[in-house]
Amino acid sequence: MLKNKLLTTSLVLILAAALGGCGGGNSNTAPDTSAQSTNAGGNEDAPAVTYKYFSFGAPKKQVLGSETTIGKELQNQTGVDWNIEYLVGDGDTKAGVMIASGDYPDIIDSSGQMAKLMDAGAFIPLDDLIEQYGPNIKRVYGPYFDKFRQQDGKLYFFPYGANIGYVSEPNFQTGFYIQRSVLKEFNYPKIKTLDEYFDLLKQYKEKHPQVGGQETIGFATLAGEQGSFFTLQNPANHLAGYPNDGSTIVDMKTHEAKLVGGSDYQKRWIKKLNEANAEGLVDPESFTMNRDQYLAKLTSGRVLGYFSYSWQVGDATNNLKKAGNDDMRYVALPIVFDKEIKDQYIDPPGFVNNYGVGITVKAKDPVRIIQYFDNLLKEENQILVQWGIKDQSYAVDANGRFTYANDAQRQLHEDPEQSMKFGFDYFNYSWPRYGNNSVLQDGNAYGPGNQPEVASYGYTDGDKKLLEAYGVKTFSELFNDPDERPWSPAWSIALEQGSPEQMFITKADDLQRKHLPAMVLDTPANFDKNWGDYMAQFDKLDKKTYEDFITKKVQERVAGKW
Amino acid sequence: MLFNRNHSFFKRLIQQRTLAFMCIPFVLWAFVFKYLPLWGWTMAFQNYKPAKSFSEQQWAGLKHFRILFEDSTFYRVLRNTLVMSGIQLVFGFVTAITLALLLNELKNIIFKRVVQTVSYLPHFISWVVASSIVLTVLSPDGIVNVLLTKLHLLDKPVLWMGKGSYFWGILGATQVWKDVGWNTIIYLAAITSIDPSQYEAAEIDGASRFQRMLNITLPGLKPVIIILLIMNMGNILESGFEAQYLLGNGMNIDFSENLDIFVLKYGLGMGNFSLGTAAGIFKTLVSFIFLFSANSIAKKMGESRLF
Repeated sequence: MLKNKLLTTSLVLILAAALGGCGGGNSNTAPDTSAQSTNAGGNEDAPAVTYKYFSFGAPKKQVLGSETTIGKELQNQTGVDWNIEYLVGDGDTKAGVMIASGDYPDIIDSSGQMAKLMDAGAFIPLDDLIEQYGPNIKRVYGPYFDKFRQQDGKLYFFPYGANIGYVSEPNFQTGFYIQRSVLKEFNYPKIKTLDEYFDLLKQYKEKHPQVGGQETIGFATLAGEQGSFFTLQNPANHLAGYPNDGSTIVDMKTHEAKLVGGSDYQKRWIKKLNEANAEGLVDPESFTMNRDQYLAKLTSGRVLGYFSYSWQVGDATNNLKKAGNDDMRYVALPIVFDKEIKDQYIDPPGFVNNYGVGITVKAKDPVRIIQYFDNLLKEENQILVQWGIKDQSYAVDANGRFTYANDAQRQLHEDPEQSMKFGFDYFNYSWPRYGNNSVLQDGNAYGPGNQPEVASYGYTDGDKKLLEAYGVKTFSELFNDPDERPWSPAWSIALEQGSPEQMFITKADDLQRKHLPAMVLDTPANFDKNWGDYMAQFDKLDKKTYEDFITKKVQERVAGKW
Repeated sequence: MLFNRNHSFFKRLIQQRTLAFMCIPFVLWAFVFKYLPLWGWTMAFQNYKPAKSFSEQQWAGLKHFRILFEDSTFYRVLRNTLVMSGIQLVFGFVTAITLALLLNELKNIIFKRVVQTVSYLPHFISWVVASSIVLTVLSPDGIVNVLLTKLHLLDKPVLWMGKGSYFWGILGATQVWKDVGWNTIIYLAAITSIDPSQYEAAEIDGASRFQRMLNITLPGLKPVIIILLIMNMGNILESGFEAQYLLGNGMNIDFSENLDIFVLKYGLGMGNFSLGTAAGIFKTLVSFIFLFSANSIAKKMGESRLF
């Protein structure tokens, strides 16, 4: 009996201990590692550590920094390695869960989740750390500090657009894309208006009703998937001759912000799509398919035209280029409503201050991280993350210009797999860095994509033929130069969480998601009635509060207050 | 009397102290993981800001509940939730029980196993993959449209995902496809516990196959069915989230958006944790009412019940 009792009591004790142990486990390990790394400080022979990096940006394969060439080199310099993880699924949810649990990685690339993370106090202020350990940070970001200081006057994260000098991009980033076979078929016509664009698609479709046994698709866009609806909203401002300022158009003189949703511009754009749909040119699946299906369609060669930003369709573009059939590839054109409108597809030089990478409150050793960042911002390392290693991924010619000596070097940058392996994919963005349009000290472009020598090296025969047909040297010459817009881009104006402005834009977007696709797919006879219904609902929302808020912020930025 | 009862309670407790001892870890577990989180409900009555401590939070009373109940979207979302769970509940039960009954009648073991495996395999695909399959199958040039146009049942392809009124049906069918095999397992297990002598007796009495199914197998399954029904009633406001989120788009938003997506958008999405919590409390209360009424109905009918 006694034996039995002993047995049960000890069993209970063991159970309790096991339960207690589970709870304590996590909190026990954390201080251990931190103690270890604090000892290290930042000196060269500090013990190796691995920190966690989480990105809300475009999803990529999870990787250990040191598995890539660039990450390995940086690890050799600092002893710091990164466990780089990307968002899977919905950013809003992930951020909400992260905040609710308080379980942050060491550093976060916020992408669109900055407002929420800042609100939750996820990041530590960096001013003192920069002061103490950041000579290179000060060199690069110093001139921009005032543009991303938060309301309490402190710096919490590093945006990615701190340009040093300026060189413009030779390649298009956005526009109405058109398949090159269409242009070729009609002997490279010069088209400028939306009507001409759809007319060309129509003529081609009539001539070639099928591609590879499947029906030709005139025009497609990505407006079905959650979070991609702006692909249907934004063309209206581009067509009217404005750059991407988010959901508003900003008047060049008065600096007044006007909503695009419900405007005449939107009406004109949707009406055109509605007409095109009646002619069988619009792919109705544009409003229901997900990104995978969209990219698969673009690479199938069936789609004649589409609207997207280049970063939305990177995979499709690269794969088409890899496939080597130039006629199946696309070129973006600066399409506008009327001939006299000056296009503004190329973003004006601006500073995006509402996202970046910051050190979280859970970081085990902020000092070591800031030292890593500072080391990363040395010019030699900035060359490493963009150009790679001399004679391995780029060459220097007799005049000291950076270029690619052969296809193998180009492939390291352009082939998706090789670029991942080398680490460009993981390290050339989403870290403290020079802005895209920067110029290196020796006059070379910071980004290989902006170096004219490289751009023309990468051009295929088809590219060259096309450029020749239009009498230009680079694709961006097809577009107008951007006008100066000191507030640019307006989409980076942060809305306060749960504010009336944010409430309005959420509701307005919902309304548009529901009405615009239905309007496009209905018969043209019903268009005016449908538009009336939509506007009746739109007018119930508090549009003025939103416009006033953006106008105020734009004017503040113009006055130099960011 | 009271004292007496207390007395006997303590006496029994002392007698069974080993048992009581062994319960402690599990009671603790339940308390820590099931009851302590209820503390978070206080968020619904505050203007909750994550970075601040509890004492710094600003109290807001019933403001967030008012926002919820005054929003017309909320009622649409609530309707969708109820309808979708209703469909899921009825469809799920009927198909799973039917399949279990049919499988039970199969004498060819190999065929039975194959059917069972094939039917429960989709359960293991994630919704992300499953939704991609559904979207592809139902796309304008997907297999469904091709088949229906080739059979001249349709003149031209239908944009299935673009019509709100189709959404509930599509979702119901998808859920059945995904989970029917899995749900069947528990019924098949319950069937094996029915005494085979009953079947033999019925056979001797000349009962047909169908009669045996109706009069022996189904009554034998009844307790399991009722318990599962009661438990599912408690989840009536859990119509699922992933399927609706991944299959939903602007064109069917009126029918696809459910309570969870609403909370996601206006709660988590806008950093308004208070509103999200308020909706969560509402959900719990409704589930509570459903669960208790189902249970008491079962009790009145003299059937097996949850508690």
